[in-house]
Amino acid sequence: METSLTPRSLGQPGFISDVRAFYAILRREWTIFRRYPSWIIALLIWPLIFPMMYILTGRALSGIDGSGLAVFTKLTGATDFIGYIVIGTTVWMWQNIVLWDVGFALRNEQMRGTLESNWLSPTWRFSYLLGHTGPQLISMTMFILITAIEFGLIFSVKLNGSAWLALLVMLVSIPAIYGLGFAFASIVITAKEAHTFVFLVRGLVMIFCGITFPVSLLPGWMQSIANWLPQTYMIRAMRSAAFANASFTELLPDLKALLLFGAFWLTLGYLLFTWMERRARQTGAIGQY
Amino acid sequence: MSDFAIEATQLVKKFPARPGTGDKSAKTESAPAPKKKLWPFGKKEPKAMFTAVNGVDLQIQRGEIFGLLGPNGAGKSTTIRMLCTLLEPTSGTARVNGFDIVKQANDVRRSLGTLLAGERSIYWKLSGRENLEYFAALYHIPQAIAKKRVEELIERMELKDRANELVEKYSTGMRQRVAIAKALLARPPILLLDEPTLGLDPQAARRLRELIAELKQEGHTILLTTHYMEEADQLSDRIGIIDTGKVIALDTPAGLKRHIEQKEVIKLEVTGWHTEIGDKIKSIAGIENLMSRQQGEADMWEVNMQAHNSRTAIPRIVEYISGNGTRLVNMNIVKPSLEDVFINLTGKALRD
Amino acid sequence: METQLLSRPSLATQLYAIYVIARKDWKVFWRYPLNAVSHVFQPIIWVTPVYFMGQAFSTNGQALGFAQYSGTGDYMSFILLGTALSNFILTVFWGMGFALKEDMDAGVLESNWLTPVSRIHILVGRTLTSLLTTTIMSLIMLLIAGWMFGFHPTGNALLAFLTAIPMLIGLYGFGFAFAGVVLLMREANTLVDVSSFLVQGLSGANFPVRSLPYWLIPVSLMLPLTYGFDAVRGILLKTNTLLPIYVEVILLIVFMFVMLWFGAWIFNRVERKVRVLGTLGQH
Repeated sequence: METSLTPRSLGQPGFISDVRAFYAILRREWTIFRRYPSWIIALLIWPLIFPMMYILTGRALSGIDGSGLAVFTKLTGATDFIGYIVIGTTVWMWQNIVLWDVGFALRNEQMRGTLESNWLSPTWRFSYLLGHTGPQLISMTMFILITAIEFGLIFSVKLNGSAWLALLVMLVSIPAIYGLGFAFASIVITAKEAHTFVFLVRGLVMIFCGITFPVSLLPGWMQSIANWLPQTYMIRAMRSAAFANASFTELLPDLKALLLFGAFWLTLGYLLFTWMERRARQTGAIGQY
Repeated sequence: MSDFAIEATQLVKKFPARPGTGDKSAKTESAPAPKKKLWPFGKKEPKAMFTAVNGVDLQIQRGEIFGLLGPNGAGKSTTIRMLCTLLEPTSGTARVNGFDIVKQANDVRRSLGTLLAGERSIYWKLSGRENLEYFAALYHIPQAIAKKRVEELIERMELKDRANELVEKYSTGMRQRVAIAKALLARPPILLLDEPTLGLDPQAARRLRELIAELKQEGHTILLTTHYMEEADQLSDRIGIIDTGKVIALDTPAGLKRHIEQKEVIKLEVTGWHTEIGDKIKSIAGIENLMSRQQGEADMWEVNMQAHNSRTAIPRIVEYISGNGTRLVNMNIVKPSLEDVFINLTGKALRD
Repeated sequence: METQLLSRPSLATQLYAIYVIARKDWKVFWRYPLNAVSHVFQPIIWVTPVYFMGQAFSTNGQALGFAQYSGTGDYMSFILLGTALSNFILTVFWGMGFALKEDMDAGVLESNWLTPVSRIHILVGRTLTSLLTTTIMSLIMLLIAGWMFGFHPTGNALLAFLTAIPMLIGLYGFGFAFAGVVLLMREANTLVDVSSFLVQGLSGANFPVRSLPYWLIPVSLMLPLTYGFDAVRGILLKTNTLLPIYVEVILLIVFMFVMLWFGAWIFNRVERKVRVLGTLGQH
């Protein structure tokens, strides 16, 4: 076999190869994900038991004769607290998983030691983050579908509005939530105790987004903070769409807000990424942990 | 009661085979063609078992340094883990310091100082001193004695100025020294050292070997495993060569080398090497165990072989090499080293 | 002679070993300060939406619907007490179960098992420290959360505390068994997550057992923890209890002994299995 002394490069950079790389990453992440059997539990059981805790709380608070429920209905306009809660918890779980997954995408590579080898390849680096979103979106869609089926069948949660509009709200929220994830990924890679940081953020979201209660109950100063979180709008809009029979026009203000958030966070996420990437090239911090 | 420090009789260890585990060269007994599981009636399918240690016999004298030499996956670590009671043998018995490893496990642990997995074996969130004080208590060393002993060892392992810093801030070498100190705490008569110099820089490795020699002077019996030939040669009173779960040779280093003394080792440096040449050379009578390895530079190859009579073999070798773009750059005839003994016995190089 | 063995086991050294293990766990716990802080604040974060949810069902600060089940309209005191006790559930599942596995993965478990100290000692020492640190964290949390949301115990605190003791010891006994099971598994994260969540829920940490759907109530009644939560609340908050309090206390004491024995037995069997399978150093 002849070995020439000057190797001819086999790589041909360009848009097509970036797309191919994107699919390669997608496929890899999905394969790794599937190999851990606990994902079945994650996908089937958590969507059921996490909301259950709040639903059972709601039952207890309603009382034997439902007098507590009457108070709730007067406040929120919702007669069915199950549907109300499920939307809140599902949205929270969804954005929580996105934050973890996308947020730690780079960090996990760093810990596995493979970040450097990925970094050395000539692919556009942002596609590493983008690549992670692919399988993520798919599993999240399944997650939400399963939740809908579980609660539709088991608890006979009835729709009073349009499922399509609720879905629209979800779609419109994707840029904002993933943008948050990208911003996260870039910060997390430089922070030492990243886990605590994530716990803190998801805790804050839990307190302010109205997960199982109307935001109007929060004291004024807390409401102002709540209005800065895209999750708040998402939950409110989905509840209106699915259970209060809201029309498209009524949802418009929230949809616009979500799109604005999306633009903001995606831009910020990308900027943070490029900043982090440049800084890493200067300080050599990529390979270390 | 035997007066051997360690005595093992036909130790066997089998593990249920997991896909992807184990050394391919070790024996794997696969289950007979799997029947459909009649659950819960009927017998369970026999699991595939992988034999890591396949009947090891050892008799280690008090006060000697015994080296257990073998490639990765040979069964060294498994044997050591059985001797220090972390693993239970599938069959066979062993006595350490006169105590049975299964029935008198606690007494065995009291008598042993063990070094396994170096820096991972100590607490990173404790200081060096705290680690030693902790383990001293777990070895039942009375408090007053323990305090003095810990200071003694900190001094001896040159950890004094950083003894109160957390281990997570130490270098690998320092962590290794803490782990060694931990093994020496109770002044155990027998020390088990599993690959003690692995990952250390040459100077640290040298100091550790000096320490091992000192410890022997002080009366300890030492069983050490390694895959560094020179280390086994230099330190051990006797060496056991282990491969695929069995001890295939046991003797003093000199004795082992004498084993193939009749043979000489021919070392060649060649350019333009082809495997066909190797085949031709192998056909020469008296030539055994030919190994070729490409050295760093482009096209430079190192070819070693063992010969019963180099004098008659050499003209034929030169003849096969010349021509066809192959050139002999250097040739050396040497006495066999321990590595060559190993290759002779197992047919493979120590470092795969 | 130089190699005279220094290891001299006696009752004193056995007890000292347990103390030393507890002391090591204590030191290591505080050397992860952020972790200690999150022990206080995580429960508060989870309780906050529950507080607002309670408000959504209450008039003038009294959860009247809830009072029909529990005998008190003071929703937050009920919840905060439940949260403080749940901390122990979390600690047992993560601190005992998972931490042992972490030690194994780090390589340090092997070192401990090479020593002539019984393996149960390690769990006992860890239990002592865990009881102490969790009690401290829970008290701090109660103070802070009480200030934020209102905590109004009306009963005898000392009695309540004494009642909690057999429940907690029994819980840790269960922790021994759980630690054993976790050691055998390759990936324990999900198991620990889900089981701790379910146990918390079903033992009435967050809602009165009586309010559960009828088919879940028997499951809850089978958990000894349920009676512990119930008794402590009954004493401290004067809520309705499932059974007379003295009956529940007797149940707890029985539970404590059974669990300690059972936990130790399971753990010893698992430990033996690990030695046969050889999974200690690898994963």
